[in-house]
Amino acid sequence: MALAPVLLSNYRKTHPFTPNQTLVETTDEALMTQVQADNLDQLVPLFERYHQPLFSFLCRLTGDREVSQDLTQNVFYRVLKYRASYHAGQPFRAWIYQLARNVHTDHWQQNRRPASDVDQIEHTASYGRSALAHAAATDRDAALQEALALLPADQREILVLHRFQGFDYAEIGELLGCTAGAARVKAHRALEALRKIYFS
Amino acid sequence: MHTSFTSHNLPASCAALEDLLPAYAEGELAPDERAHVEAHLATCPACQEKIAQYQTLGQELVGLPLACPTPEMRTDFMAMLQREKAALPTAQIAPVAEAQPKVEQEAKVLSLWNRPATRQWLQVAASLLLVAVGVVLGMTLRPRSEQFAASQTRKPSLATQLATAATQPATASDRIQLVSNAPTVNQQNDATVLVLVNTLNTDPNPNVRLAACEALYRLRQDPRVGSALVHSLPLQTDPNVQITLIELLVELRTPEAVPQLERLAQRRDALPVVRQQAEQGIGLLI
Repeated sequence: MALAPVLLSNYRKTHPFTPNQTLVETTDEALMTQVQADNLDQLVPLFERYHQPLFSFLCRLTGDREVSQDLTQNVFYRVLKYRASYHAGQPFRAWIYQLARNVHTDHWQQNRRPASDVDQIEHTASYGRSALAHAAATDRDAALQEALALLPADQREILVLHRFQGFDYAEIGELLGCTAGAARVKAHRALEALRKIYFS
Repeated sequence: MHTSFTSHNLPASCAALEDLLPAYAEGELAPDERAHVEAHLATCPACQEKIAQYQTLGQELVGLPLACPTPEMRTDFMAMLQREKAALPTAQIAPVAEAQPKVEQEAKVLSLWNRPATRQWLQVAASLLLVAVGVVLGMTLRPRSEQFAASQTRKPSLATQLATAATQPATASDRIQLVSNAPTVNQQNDATVLVLVNTLNTDPNPNVRLAACEALYRLRQDPRVGSALVHSLPLQTDPNVQITLIELLVELRTPEAVPQLERLAQRRDALPVVRQQAEQGIGLLI
């Protein structure tokens, strides 16, 4: 995404404007500004760029493909519904991920499991070991997915943002409302928690 | 909340470095810290194993397969987009979107979307402090008016008391006292909410309005409270009341507040801090 303006300027050098040619700005932010001005078709390229990463983000948070597909759809619905609250120049990626986090939080609150201490049971070492031993025998990836699923939601989110979505600590800090340093410490704690579950 | 990973049975030399190991494995340590960890690793097989595990974990995480959405997602998205486009001329959001570009060219508020939580709390604390100061001054500096003292003994409903206080020259501190003593549990058909809303919207004194905000928040179980707070937002001009209202709307997770917050974020007579607060509220609600 960050490459887009560079590529565009190269393109302009090699392809000077002709009167009949209109070149559409293609940065995320420029597209979103268009969407904001009711040019809703400009959401299509944004969908193409972001639906896969957002889906994978939500998939790793929820562990459920079908739910993640609905939630991803909901994110784009909210982009349209709340487009007036986007501000020109605001980094689009951070904005849409914040929407995705809110969609996930709302989903989680609506579908909260009854307080049956399922989490407590899942976090006892013996359950983790037997479940993982079984899974590891069949598939290492499945074991790792399982270990990720056993992490508390906020630790899983940090790992997913950092490892899979390519967010640096400063960006994570911005999303979570903390400093980059604090985000780094949280990410390390999450990694340590995952190590304990995975290798226990 | 989190499973603490400070192990109790580690040797002291390992425990001292425990927090640095993930950063070491990630290659994020400064040279002096790295040298420190390496000196320890040379003599500690247990920590060496941990590092190996971090590295394995890192590689395996990278290798995890990526889930792909089904083609229906694109179909559904396109259908949704068509619906929204069809609804565009009559849609409720259209006026807001139209108003947007005009305002964009004028004064622009930079979004400090995720400001440190401490600042939010300072603002809340400042608001609460104002109320508290108002209450304390009211109680210490002025004798209770006879009307208020009498109303205490007869115990009429809060609604009656406030309504009386509004028409008669009761002091602001009396009114704050009345509002602050509003019950926290509301009975059905009780006029308390309505009177508090009326106080919030019409009382000339911002401290009384703040107290009404707080009292309404305590009655948040009542379905009328959320929408009353939303509708009060455009009526308020005092920054403390505005900020408190935004905080409460976010706390109550009231998505209906978003259009009003958007308007407030664009209001040129609002203080920058209020507009920032409104923008941040939007970020948290949408």
